[in-house]
Amino acid sequence: MPNKKLSFAVVCSSNMNRSMEAHRFMSKKGFDVQSFGSGNQVKLPGQAADKPNIFSFEWRYEDILNELKRKDLHLYTQNGVLNMLDRNRRIKARPQRFQDCPEKFDVVITLEERVYDQVMEDFNNRESEMMQPVHIINCDIQDNHEEATIGAFVICELAKQVQDSTDLDNEIDELLQEFEEKSKRRMLHSVQFY
Amino acid sequence: AADDAEKEEKISTFDMVINLLNQASMAKKDSEKVEKLQQVQELVINKQPELLDNFTDEVVAFQADRSSDVRKFVVGFMEEACKKEQELLSKLLSNFYMLLVDDNVNVLKKVIQSSTQLYRLSIQWVSSSKASKELLEASWKTVCDIQDTIFQMLDSENDGVRTQSVKFVEKVVLTLSERQRYSEIPKKVESYSSLDQIPNNNPVLIKADLVTLCQKALQKMLEFVSSPAISSVNLMAAMGTLTTIAKQRPQFMASAVEAFEMLHANLPPTLAKTQVTSVRKHLKMQLMNLLRHAGSTEFHLQITNLLYDLGTNATEIARNMPKPSAVAKDKKSIARKRSPL
Repeated sequence: MPNKKLSFAVVCSSNMNRSMEAHRFMSKKGFDVQSFGSGNQVKLPGQAADKPNIFSFEWRYEDILNELKRKDLHLYTQNGVLNMLDRNRRIKARPQRFQDCPEKFDVVITLEERVYDQVMEDFNNRESEMMQPVHIINCDIQDNHEEATIGAFVICELAKQVQDSTDLDNEIDELLQEFEEKSKRRMLHSVQFY
Repeated sequence: AADDAEKEEKISTFDMVINLLNQASMAKKDSEKVEKLQQVQELVINKQPELLDNFTDEVVAFQADRSSDVRKFVVGFMEEACKKEQELLSKLLSNFYMLLVDDNVNVLKKVIQSSTQLYRLSIQWVSSSKASKELLEASWKTVCDIQDTIFQMLDSENDGVRTQSVKFVEKVVLTLSERQRYSEIPKKVESYSSLDQIPNNNPVLIKADLVTLCQKALQKMLEFVSSPAISSVNLMAAMGTLTTIAKQRPQFMASAVEAFEMLHANLPPTLAKTQVTSVRKHLKMQLMNLLRHAGSTEFHLQITNLLYDLGTNATEIARNMPKPSAVAKDKKSIARKRSPL
């Protein structure tokens, strides 16, 4: 009998680059996946390293795209941000903040330790009612286009193993250890409850 | 005419339920069977709960189905049925108990999860029902049997069963202990979720026995946390549980802090290197939580020492010290505690 389809959340800071690439890739492979950001705002590269473009999570990808086109078409075309926003708007309308999402997931994959901390803190502040376990896994991915592409592949492979596990709660410790060895990536893992 | 229309609708729902139950019995695919039963649940629990009594037995009969998905559904149905109609507990508690021997771990985990949900409700029902003393005694005995069986499952061979049992033990400790001055009160305040809300003179629920039960449960949890072969997942689940208990029942703060001290000094040798990183990170988070809690003042020295050992810097510790406004909040929490529920 096939396993129940697990629901995944992939979370990075702004729900722009890493989580969206993983979202796209995993959706294509048939996973039940949603993506989120865990920061307070959405940050995108600006005209200088210390001058990022900041938006609230209310902004639609399309509106951000138009705003940045208006600001500096050349710069944001060259650094790939417009391309990324164009990809994003084809996946969903706007970035979503994990902390504001009432939906329950089986597995939450964070893509940076700081994001893992924020997600864990969020579960600390939520009250468990159903006592339904959720696995939180962190796998660091650098925030640039190339790493996001490679990262999405790694995350998808991890998700595949998690989905294929016949008894995830019982096997996850071992599964993650093997995955760490194989992928040469350091993972963090914990369990929380909805 | 309105009465007639209502009667007619009732009859048609009645027929619809019978039809769906027949379709469920005949269904060849498990998923189809579950789908039909889900429709029955929608009709008899949400749409016309007055039909629930008529059909509970028919749905519960599927607990012997060979499909684990169907049995898991039945557990969920029984939970919702008891929440809708508390009197059904007298009938269904023994079914939960029977399903605790199911050989499928997913069914088993669902039974433990539902038992956790129904624990407070069972106490509420036993202490306020007008049913006969014999019936209430027998039901409470079944709750205790369920409880003992789940306590034993902390030693289950299956990690996930152990994790789910941890949450059950947490619920027992919280329900059977008193709220105190610094108790953090959940946002959704529910009646009968602490010992002080259970009547003193109940003939079935004897407070002294409940206190003993609570101590036994807490002791189980402390032993579980300190067992050398505990898995990383369960260690973190249990640490979270100890923190929840300490925050909501600060009378147990000392036990939690002591357990964390022991744990920090003797992490289970079976943990892999990166699991140690996850566990230490989790421990730091629990300690920060306790540090922020208004009831932990007398343990600040132990807590901060542990935090320093875990690599926390002084600024971070200072930032997480309870704010002076916590005192004001505390006054509020006392007021909430005293207000009728």
